[in-house]
Amino acid sequence: MNDNVIECKNLTHYYGKKLVYENLNINVKRGSILGLLGKNGAGKTTTINILNGFLQPRSGECLIFGENSQHLTPITKGRIGFLIEGHVQYAFMDIHQIEKFYSRFYKKWNNEPYWDLMSKLKVTPTQKLSTMSCGQRSQVALGLILAQDPDLLILDDFSMGLDPGYRRLFIDYLREYAKSNNKTIFTTSHIISDMERLIDDVLIMDYNRVLAQCPVKQFMDTFNQFTFELDNPNIDISKEKFVVNIDKIKNKIELNTFETEAFVKNFLLKENISVKNFKKVNLNLEDAFIGLTGKY
Amino acid sequence: MWKSIIYKEWLKVRWYLIAATLLLGIFVSYMFINVQHTIAFMQANNYWNVIVFRKEQYFHLIKYLPLLIGIGIAIAQYVPEIIQKRIKLSFHLPNNENKIILTMMGFGNLSLLACFSIVFLIFVGLSNYFFPYEIVNEAIVTILPWFIGGLAGYSLVSLIVLEPIWKYKMFYMVVAALFIPIYYESGVSGAFEPINFKLTIIALLISVSLLFSAYRFRKGEM
Repeated sequence: MNDNVIECKNLTHYYGKKLVYENLNINVKRGSILGLLGKNGAGKTTTINILNGFLQPRSGECLIFGENSQHLTPITKGRIGFLIEGHVQYAFMDIHQIEKFYSRFYKKWNNEPYWDLMSKLKVTPTQKLSTMSCGQRSQVALGLILAQDPDLLILDDFSMGLDPGYRRLFIDYLREYAKSNNKTIFTTSHIISDMERLIDDVLIMDYNRVLAQCPVKQFMDTFNQFTFELDNPNIDISKEKFVVNIDKIKNKIELNTFETEAFVKNFLLKENISVKNFKKVNLNLEDAFIGLTGKY
Repeated sequence: MWKSIIYKEWLKVRWYLIAATLLLGIFVSYMFINVQHTIAFMQANNYWNVIVFRKEQYFHLIKYLPLLIGIGIAIAQYVPEIIQKRIKLSFHLPNNENKIILTMMGFGNLSLLACFSIVFLIFVGLSNYFFPYEIVNEAIVTILPWFIGGLAGYSLVSLIVLEPIWKYKMFYMVVAALFIPIYYESGVSGAFEPINFKLTIIALLISVSLLFSAYRFRKGEM
């Protein structure tokens, strides 16, 4: 039995003549939480739209539960919970109306988590979503997805516009729900620190290419950042194969690489490059992401 | 499931629909107050004479109201769907996307029909009270295209609002600008009798074209 809930094969997409990405392959295993990270414009929302059949890729295909995402059957759509960027929902409804609306579509509808979340919001029963804060709307959108009890959750930038408290609430609810019910999550967020708390696997995209695709732990264990000062500031090591990214200000170097400390030190020794204050930096996911993709 | 779609559409248009029906009702009532006033002023037989031989239309006041109401319903129904591309929420529901769109369109048409029918019945009832059968019959044949024009206006504006590609949007605007006036051509009372049926069929066919705009929206065409 195929254990992948999502399989994207050789996905290529362009906007006009602008290449978004070429031959992108993504696999998401049942019960795992994958975070798609990338700078603005790297193709995160494009991928989400292709996954939901809202965009036709130039070539390649995405299979969700074995079905081509461009032609999902109603049954398969019922197994997917979809959060649109900005927690978009029907703003002209109140929390009772929107629950009533969605409940008739889903066989497994369980309104308990929805009302549990709603009880935390300070909203009146007849208050329209359009008059709620972004944080409150995010809880409504999350509650509706949880009540749907989907097997796969696709979340497009769930942290957009949320204050730290709501972000933490969202993440804690989501992770607990996914792990206790063996749900699969495919998510994007531009706040990387949130992802560290949530995801099992990471896919980091840059313009036109994939930079990393592996479990978060493996990424954090293998990606390294070293700082040191060159005795001779004219030395340039940026072209070396093991260098993923390098920042140089005068003689101060910030080197990002998938190689080990021993490898880098050995390289410097072998090339007779004398340095001082060599340090390995302790990275969190956000530091590693910036180290990999660059600051600008 | 269809009940849920209808429930959503109802929430969007309910106040507008009630207000539009009341407004149309007020206009019709005002029209017949004028009729009553004219009859009291110049006697019924003289007024009938003016209507029959000078082709005066006692109902011209409501001519463009069905069109405005049709356009209004289309805006009330579809603008909330394109704001933040909310229609994606409907397309993601576990149902066939075309059936969802047709249900939305069907609801809009039935709402308009309900609104127009109420006002139409009031109009026919009051006309029968003041005028003989021949005058009432001519009046019905004359105002019918105005109401059908309201349905066509609804369909075309829905199409324009939901269409994601600007060149198509512009094309539909041109089509609407050329097509809608056909329903409002000036003519003597009863002149439209031979083509009323065809105008109705065309208005219904336009409704179905919404599926093409919805498809382009669904496939992310820009």
